[in-house]
Amino acid sequence: MISQGDAALLITGHGSTVNPDSSAPSLAQAEAIRNRRIFREVVCSFWKEEPSLRDALLLFGDPEIREVYVVPNFISEGYFTQTVIPRELELEGSLTRRANGQLWKYCEPVGSHSAVTELLLARAAEIAPGVEEAETTLLIVGHGTALNDQSAVAAKRQVDKISALGRYASVQSAYMEEPPLIADWPRLTTTPNVVVVPFFISDGLHSYEDIPVLLGIEKEGAMAATRLRGVFRSNPHRLHGRALYYANAIGTAPQFADIILAQAENFERCTLDLGAPAQTVSS
Amino acid sequence: MRPPVERLLADWIASGTRGIGQIRITQSGGIFSLCHREDEGRSDLAVHRSPNDAIEIAKYTDAGEYRPLKTAPNLRRGWWLELPDVEALQRALDFFYPGRLAALAVWEANRLAPTPLRATLERQTGMYRVAAKIPDGGIDQLVGRFCRSQDGEPGCLRTIMWARDGTKARPSLRLPLDKYIAPVDQTGRGENVIPLLCQEACNLLVAEARKVVKSE
Ligand code: SF4
Repeated sequence: MISQGDAALLITGHGSTVNPDSSAPSLAQAEAIRNRRIFREVVCSFWKEEPSLRDALLLFGDPEIREVYVVPNFISEGYFTQTVIPRELELEGSLTRRANGQLWKYCEPVGSHSAVTELLLARAAEIAPGVEEAETTLLIVGHGTALNDQSAVAAKRQVDKISALGRYASVQSAYMEEPPLIADWPRLTTTPNVVVVPFFISDGLHSYEDIPVLLGIEKEGAMAATRLRGVFRSNPHRLHGRALYYANAIGTAPQFADIILAQAENFERCTLDLGAPAQTVSS
Repeated sequence: MRPPVERLLADWIASGTRGIGQIRITQSGGIFSLCHREDEGRSDLAVHRSPNDAIEIAKYTDAGEYRPLKTAPNLRRGWWLELPDVEALQRALDFFYPGRLAALAVWEANRLAPTPLRATLERQTGMYRVAAKIPDGGIDQLVGRFCRSQDGEPGCLRTIMWARDGTKARPSLRLPLDKYIAPVDQTGRGENVIPLLCQEACNLLVAEARKVVKSE
């Protein structure tokens, strides 16, 4: 268990210089976790917003804080979790002892947690209530760009896990920038119902506009930015003789606060399994 | 015991400081009230009471544009935020000017070790690696335009604490000396303010340095 009182939590996110909604899920989850009073301090830091990842090095000056759990609010392992965050936070691996004796614990990204699969299922059920799963295709969509190299793999992994449950007629992944392309959904799927869940941490132009345009439920540039958020409320969309249900980014689910906590707790479990570092952990 | 940043804030307020960046802080009957420094005395301000409201207030300019840099001098006007104690005040200021109180606390403890710009640039990987190729003259121009407290693009109200490189040279001679001195009021009003320190170049400046290199 995470010790009360002397532990802090640092949620690290991507953030954005153009998308005002990018940091919203991290901030909301930080607030939810703060209210549970498990940690002495709960803060966010971002690659592209303030406080920056570099600022984070200064955020835990309270001498009462002996350990800092760092949980990346990212959908998958990849360039950011493996290169950018460790570099900016000067991490030496999963366990880093600072000059003042503070111990920083680098946890797995939220997207790697097994509970994400249940959240995808819950989100799908929530936006398409009463829809027969045996007559439905679940489409998990991701970026699929070179920089987020492993996000496509992460989406595919979710597809495999959900397929294995045998609930949906079909479970597939589709991407904005690499095949199978989201725009090809009418050909990729054959069921009367199609449920689309973006496998992203936050909403933004991708989920408000790019994906709706690719799906054919919005015309390019047709809506004012302020009205775009309404796109999630007009389910189902009747297209190509099917019923298409469209969800917002999975990372906006409030349950991600629990996953952030679970990743911090998992750190203890994984380190204890290794034996030796356990003494450092309990000191 | 109070956390160090809260204590620091209480000390600054007790010493009579009434501003931070573009924000006016007033205290009456144990309640702290914040508003835009240009809105002081107005009676038609929209009243808010939660520190979390600062997130939305700080998000867009008066023209409705997103503010990626919270220390840019484009905080919107027309709001009034009432907070019950120093803890809530700190929380709100951490949303208005994220990380700045923490940096100040480290500086006051004589432990702030600013990162020279060259070190920041050379650490970059991926698409930003190329930014390190910017020449000293390019840095002089870029910092002179980008970090400028007034009339910048968009400009920034922080005090630059970092040097250009290991020589400790100032990054830009185009900026007034005051830009490097805390706690000078960067809005130019010459008041007693809590300084907003820049201990390391922000990601926006790194991205601009990349653009400069790419355009050459
Ligand atoms: S580098 Fe520092 S002073 Fe310059 S714009 Fe960024 S935050 Fe402001």
